[in-house]
Order: sequence, then C-alpha cells, then structure tokens
Amino acid sequence: MIEAREVSLRYPDGTLALRDINLEVEPGELVYITGPSGSGKTSLLKLLMGMEYPTSGSLRVLGQPIAKGEEGRIRRLRKRIGPVFQEFKLIQGRTVLENVMMGMRFLGLPNRQIKENAGSALAGLGLEHKALSRVENLSWGEAQRVAIARAVARKPELILADEPTGNLDHENALTILDLLTSFRDTNTTVIITTHATHLIELQGNAVFIRMNGGDVSVERRRKSNEKCLI
Amino acid sequence: MKSALYNMGYFLKEARRIIGLNRLSSVFSSISTGLILFILAVIITCWSVSALLVETMQDEAEISAYLDRGIGNEQAFGLVEAIKGIGGVWDVRLVDQGEAYGRMEAILGEEARVLELFDENPFEAFIEVRIGLDELDRVAEEVGSLEGIDHIRENREVLERIQSIAAGLNSLGYIVIAAVGISTLVIVSHMIRQGIYNNRIQIDTLRLLGAPNGFIGFPFVLAGLLLTLAGGILASVLIVLLINQAYGGMAGSLPFIPLPPRGRLVSGLVILIGATSISLGVLGSLFGMSSTK
Repeated sequence: MIEAREVSLRYPDGTLALRDINLEVEPGELVYITGPSGSGKTSLLKLLMGMEYPTSGSLRVLGQPIAKGEEGRIRRLRKRIGPVFQEFKLIQGRTVLENVMMGMRFLGLPNRQIKENAGSALAGLGLEHKALSRVENLSWGEAQRVAIARAVARKPELILADEPTGNLDHENALTILDLLTSFRDTNTTVIITTHATHLIELQGNAVFIRMNGGDVSVERRRKSNEKCLI
Repeated sequence: MKSALYNMGYFLKEARRIIGLNRLSSVFSSISTGLILFILAVIITCWSVSALLVETMQDEAEISAYLDRGIGNEQAFGLVEAIKGIGGVWDVRLVDQGEAYGRMEAILGEEARVLELFDENPFEAFIEVRIGLDELDRVAEEVGSLEGIDHIRENREVLERIQSIAAGLNSLGYIVIAAVGISTLVIVSHMIRQGIYNNRIQIDTLRLLGAPNGFIGFPFVLAGLLLTLAGGILASVLIVLLINQAYGGMAGSLPFIPLPPRGRLVSGLVILIGATSISLGVLGSLFGMSSTK
C-alpha cells in the first residue's frame, strides 16, 4: 500500500523536512501521524499525495512510485486517494453538493452514481440539509465535514486527512475521528495527521507515527480499544 | 470520452460561469470578435463579387469595329462573314445604329433624356466581335486591317483595370484574414488567461484531486468557443443585413455588375463565419491555456 525507503525531503530553501524515513502501511490500516507544529506531518502527507517528491530514497503509494518524471502516473494515482486538506480547499461560489460531486466528475462515473455517492456521503456526515447551501456560508466545522464528504464519496483506497480535527471542539473532533476510522471496515487505509494527541492516545489497532524535527518513530498497536476514545 | 459525455452539462455550466465571471469583458470580446469577423465577411463578399466580375468580363472581351462611312449593308455583312473566319473569334454580329442608340439608352437609364437633344441618331453602326481575352491583340490587328473597317475599339483597358482591382482586393483580403486571425486569437486567449487566473484555486484543487488536464481545460475551451460563436452570430446578422441592402441598391442603380446568387452567397458566408469563429475560439482557448503557467 505505502512503502517508504530512506525517504528524505529537503525544500528548495534548504530546510530538511524529513530525514531517512522508513515506513510500511498495509491496506486497511489506520495511521496517525502526530508531532508538534513544523515537525513534518504535512510534508509527509504532501509526499504521499505527490505534491512533493522525495529528495532521496524511494516512495511508493498504492504501488505507484512518487518521483519526478512520474507526474502522469501521480495524477492518475490521486484519483484513488481521498484527500482532506487542512485548509479544506472547497470551491467557493458552489454548493455543498456541487463541491462533493466535483471530486467524482472525472472518475468515469455516471451522473446518477455521482449524485448517489455524494448524497450518501453527505448523509453520513449529517449534512444532507446543507446540500444546496453555498460553502462560503458554512461554519468551520461544517466546511470540515464537507471536505471529508468530498474525500469519502469517491470511495478511495486511501484517505489522507491533514489535521481534520483542527479548530474543532472536543465533541466534533471525536465525531470526525470516529467517522474517518470507520472506513477501515471497507479495507480503506486511513492516514490522519493531528497534533491533538489527547484524542488518540488510547486508540488501539492503529499505527502511530511520531514526528519530531525530521526524525520519525513508528509504533504499531494491535489491541482494539477504540471505545476508550469516546 | 465517457467522462466527457457524462459531464457535458457540467462543462457547459462551467463555461457559462467562466464567461459570467467577467461579464462586461466577455460581452465586449464577443462584440469586437463579431465586428472583426464582419470585416472578414465584407472582404470575402467583395472577393466573391470581383471574382465573378472578372470571370464574366474575361468572357466579354470584345472588339467594336467601326465601318467606313457610306458602306452598304451588303458589304457590312460581307465583313461580318470575313471576321467570323478569323481564328479565336467566338461571335460576330452587326449592331446597327438603332441598336447602338437603344443600348446607350439602357446604360444611361433616367439620364437617357440627354439623347433627345440630338436631331438625329448620333451613334454609328459597328461590328461587335467577341473573343477570348488572350486573343485580343492578334484579332484586333487582323480585324483592323480589313478593308471597309475605319477603326476599332477594344475594352482591354477596362478589363485590365478590373483585374488589377480584383488582385488588389485579393491582397487586401489576405492581410484582413491575417489580422482577423491574430486579433481574434489574442482577444480569446486573453479572456481565457483571465478566466484561468480567476479560477486558479479551483484548478489547483482539481489537480490535487486527480482531475486530468483535459477535464480541467475543457470548460475554458468551451468558453472561448462560445465567445467567438456569439461574435460569429453577430457578424452573420450584420453581413446578411448588409448584403440585403446592397443587393437591393445595386439592382436599381448598377444593374450591369454581375452579382452571385444572394441565397448562395449568404449561406456560404454564414457557414464560413461559423466555422471560422469555432476554429478561432478553440485555437484561441488552447493558445491561452498553453501560455498560462
């Protein structure tokens, strides 16, 4: 699913964001990436999405290499990923439904299927009553859920969520995490970055990647004690 | 392809939105494109008329051979037969004084009243010789040397002048075509670049979601096409109005200028303007997209 070998990322200004990362993630695994601000969480997600390329080492996501010169493959790879961006990246001036549908329009699905997927994703996130609202009129939490709906409606093989609980209150944050983790049941791999470690510290059956200034430690918990979250 | 079909409604809606983002600019772009295409249509109409005129005149190269004074009818018909025997001559006929008078009356129209001032018919009989333009010099020389022929007149000068006007129109036409092409491409590509800039966040998001370039770019191509097509419709309306007015006017005052059949000319122009506007719209959009980073 994801395989990183000695992956480093150095930005053009010389900043070393990631150093010699080794990582393996299996299909259907839940992965939390934690660490303080600036520790490289978002950089790692950008690598996984092909928004950045490793400066050294090799990285494969869903079997596709992430490297310069592979832009065409990376573009196709992104169709199989459901991204939830930290800043949402919702398209202004459109309705909630249009935003969710837009993420599926180029997947070769018929319109009826797109509408069905969007409708059920919005229903799953409690947003069906907001379907025809313009996204600029949504609260922060609602916009966050629309971003998630857009990601999950695509029925991706891999969900990459960057700080999906940021700026949410405790209860909403738990709801969002609960929802994202539920996709493991469909054998979807879910990778979540968060600095809200208190929300996930009791989480079991997950991979924890702790980042600190480019260094990474990986811990696998097999025990299932998700109930402790709530 | 499947995606394109499923998404045609979405593409049209997006194209309409791209145009609507800067409505005033879009309206002016369409109007200026329309006026540019109208100029092209006018030039093509002039081409068409001048080509037909030249073609007709080529067939109407003729020599008027004036007879010696006092020559009788029998001798005149003998000269007609002699001229018929010259190689390169298509048709020969004797135009008597009455017919010459009648022809001038037709040409002068209302001004023919001036002919009434003459006590007697001022026109002479002559032999009208129709030939191919290429044979004009040789035949003129042979006819002029026949006994009984006083002098000859030919219409080479008029024909050459018309040919040179037609050639000038041709050159002007090429310049106009180049100007139309370049200016329309610049207008459309500028509009599309502006549209891309206004939608850069959406484009960035779509790329991150894995949308192919074709999916992202198609609404912009469609927007460019719709803008120039609107210009093309405007140009078509203007040229149809102009042609209707011109045909009405020329039929009365310049009946001797041959005009192509109105229906064929109009339908040909509308098809040409439509095809040109679609091609320029698509090319301009692609140019605008390729020149945007």
